[in-house]
Parts: sequence; structure tokens; C-alpha cells
Amino acid sequence: MGLGFRIGAELVAGVLVGVGIGWVLDTWLKTSPWLMVLFLLLGGAAGVMNVYRTMRGMDATVGLGQASRRAEQAKDL
Amino acid sequence: MPQFDPTFFAPQLFWLVLTFVTLYILMTSVALPKIGAVLDERQRKIDDNLDKAAQLKAEAEAAVAAYEKALAESRAHAHSVIKEASDRLSSEAEERNRALSAKLSEQIKAGEARIGEAKTKALANVRDVAIDVAGSVFDRLIGANADAAKLETAVATALKEHGK
Amino acid sequence: MANPIEQFKIQPLVPLKVGGLDISFTNSSAMMVLSVCLITLFLTLSVRSRALVPGRWQSMAEVFYEFIAGMLRENVGSEGRKYFPFIFSLFMFVLFGNLLGMMPIPVIGFTYTSHVIVTFAMALVVFTGVTVIGFARHGTHYLRMFFPEGAPIATAVILIPIELISYFSRPFSLAVRLFANMTVGHIILKVMGGFVVSLGAFYLVPGVVPFAFLSAVTVLEFGIALLQAYVFTILSCIYLHDAIHMH
Repeated sequence: MGLGFRIGAELVAGVLVGVGIGWVLDTWLKTSPWLMVLFLLLGGAAGVMNVYRTMRGMDATVGLGQASRRAEQAKDL
Repeated sequence: MPQFDPTFFAPQLFWLVLTFVTLYILMTSVALPKIGAVLDERQRKIDDNLDKAAQLKAEAEAAVAAYEKALAESRAHAHSVIKEASDRLSSEAEERNRALSAKLSEQIKAGEARIGEAKTKALANVRDVAIDVAGSVFDRLIGANADAAKLETAVATALKEHGK
Repeated sequence: MANPIEQFKIQPLVPLKVGGLDISFTNSSAMMVLSVCLITLFLTLSVRSRALVPGRWQSMAEVFYEFIAGMLRENVGSEGRKYFPFIFSLFMFVLFGNLLGMMPIPVIGFTYTSHVIVTFAMALVVFTGVTVIGFARHGTHYLRMFFPEGAPIATAVILIPIELISYFSRPFSLAVRLFANMTVGHIILKVMGGFVVSLGAFYLVPGVVPFAFLSAVTVLEFGIALLQAYVFTILSCIYLHDAIHMH
């Protein structure tokens, strides 16, 4: 149950933040709704990436390169 | 869901900030220093005791080393004393042995000399007695005195025949 | 059967208004105050005797202290020491919110960690603090976090927005995780309790099955209360580590 919650939370949070940023940019640049759609997709990607990191046990490490390096180090140890 | 009802966002946030700041202040000023002090004190006591134990151990080890050194020393000393005594005893015994054997051999020599003297004396006596006996036997049988020189020669010959 | 959502309702106990801002003292506020009081009482009274060989209460307080100190040391390192009081307060506040929410306290019984605004506010404080610490320590170099070293420049257009969203989603995932766990757990408990009551009231035997299940779920919920407080705190520690060490 805990893991499911975490994955759900990561996905929801990613999409939420994406849509939020898109909406703010849209109202600012008056490009509604295009940036919101774009950032919805990016937010989904970020959510999926966060889930991937969670699954690999690299919680919330920002930066994919750093995350994979850290995983390599963990493997070496 | 009541969680998404914005009516109560403001009071919730206000009381959250108030209580959390209070908690933070209480933790930093009262609770955490107290627990930290207790833990530090325990750690210090443990370290102290460990130090003391290490010190005691070192002391004990030193004592054991000293004891063993003393033991080895006294053993060596005893060894040398024993060796010295036995050397002295054996040399003394040898000395006494030598003196005794010298004395004994001297006595043996003297005794032998005395025996030889006595033997020759005895042998001389035997010859005289034999001459006397032969003279008196000759006198009884024949009734005349025998010639002393002839008698002597005869006894000497007889003695020689009988060995020695 | 009682409405399982009812338990999350906020009831103002003392309505207050300051300058148009509603700051009513509610059952939620009461539970927060209760938590703070209990935490402080527990931590101060238990070490009152300063025993060298700790009793039951004192060793519990020490376990909490050592646990959080160890977590901070392992995840952040020695630089994390000055954030220890904050992380410790955070852990205790969430933990007591979760645990006291399980207690049948009359009138004010409430789980403040099941309210997303509360968890989000805490997560936002952590997030903002961590970001400020990151920029204070590394300056603009902290922005390197958002673009992986060695990746082709062309991918920056895609990767940087994704990393940015990922970074900004931290407080949301932190808040949503705790809030969702607490909410769903309490709904399950309420529904199971409702089954026990409605079935047990008419037939003794069928009520036993949901009762056994309810007991098991209650134990599980206590575990989750502990686990979620732990997860909330350790993720804060990991964020702090990233801000301080950037790798």
C-alpha cells in the first residue's frame, strides 16, 4: 500500500505542478491554453521520472545524470 | 471532502504556524538540550570508565611483567647459587678424596714395608730355628756335634727346595 | 452507518477573527496544541531524573533523539547538525499528529495530518528552506542541479523543464503522500468500524469477522502512522543533503 501511494503521489504531484506552471505562464503570456497542454505533458514526464527514481531507490535525487551516477556508485559499493 | 474546503485553510495555517513554532522553540530551548546532556553525560561516563579500565589493565599488565621479571631474576639467581654451591661441594669432595687416597696409599705403602720387614725377619728366624732343630736332631741321632757350616748349607738347600 | 468523511470535518470551538482573518480555535488546533504539550511533557519529564541507566520512558525519549540524529548524520552528514532541532520537531509533530489521530479522544478527536493544507504547509517550509540553503551555499551554481552533466546541449530544452517540474513537485508529493495515507487509512478504519457495529448489532457471529479485520487494520494503521512520519522526515533529510552536497 505504501509503495502504491508513493507512486500515485509522485505522478499526481508531477502533473499538478506541470499544469500549474503552464497555467501561470499562459495567463502571463496570454497563450492559453497551449503552454498548459505542453506543461501537462512535461509534468507527466517528470512524474514518470520521479516514479522511476523512486523505484530505483534514488528518491528525489534531482538530475537524471546525477541519479544514474549515484546508482552506479551504489552498484560499485 | 472537508480537506479541500478553503473556509478553514486560514485558521489551520495560523494554528499550525503557532503550534509548530512553539514546538520548535520548546525543543531547541528545553527538551533537546536536556536529552543531549543526558546522552553526553552517559557517553562521558562510559568513556571515563573505558579509560579507567584501560589504565587498570595497563597497570595489571605492568605488575604481571614486573612479577615475571622478578621471578626470572630470582630463578637465575637461585640457579647460580645452586651451581656455585655444587661446584664448591664437588671441588671440596674431590680435594678430600684426593687427600684421603694419598693418605691411604701412604699408609698402604708403610704397611707393605712393615710386612716385608716382618717377613724377612720371620724368614731369618725360620732359618735359625731350622738350623737349631737340624743340629739338635743330628745330635740326638748321631750323638755328635754337627759341623755348623755344613748344617747351614743343608738347611739353605732344603729351604730352597721347598720353595722360597 | 456514520459518514466516513465526517471525521475530517473541522469544528470551530472558539470562533476568532483578527482583522478579517479567521483564526478560530478548532478541533484541529486543539489537537496541534495537545501534540505540542504531550511531546514537550514526554521529552522533558522522561529525562527529569537524568538516570545513567534509563528507565522505560527515558530510553524511549533517547531512542527518538538518537533515531533522528542518526538519520540526519547518515543522510546529510555533519553539516546537518544545525538543522537537527527543526527535523526533530518536524518528525515529532507529524508522528504525534498521526498517532493521536488514532486515539478515540472525545470532542476534539482529529487527525491534522489528514488535511492537505497542513501537510502542504509543512512540505512547503521544508522545500523553501532547502532551496534557500542550496542557493546560499552554492549560489547560481545550484542551478546546475537542473541540467545533468555530460548530457547533449540539445536535450536541455526538454530536460530542464522536466527537472524543474520534478524539483517543484517535491513539496506536492511530500504533502500528498502523508495526507493521502492518513485520509485513506482513517476512511478504511471508519468503514470497517461501521461494519462491525451494523453487523454485530444484529448478529453476533458475522460481526466477529469485520472486527478481526478491523483489529488487524488498526495495527497496520499504527505502523503506517510511524512509517509516514519516518518517510516525511527522511525525504526532508534527503532534500537537505541534495541542497548541501549537490550530488
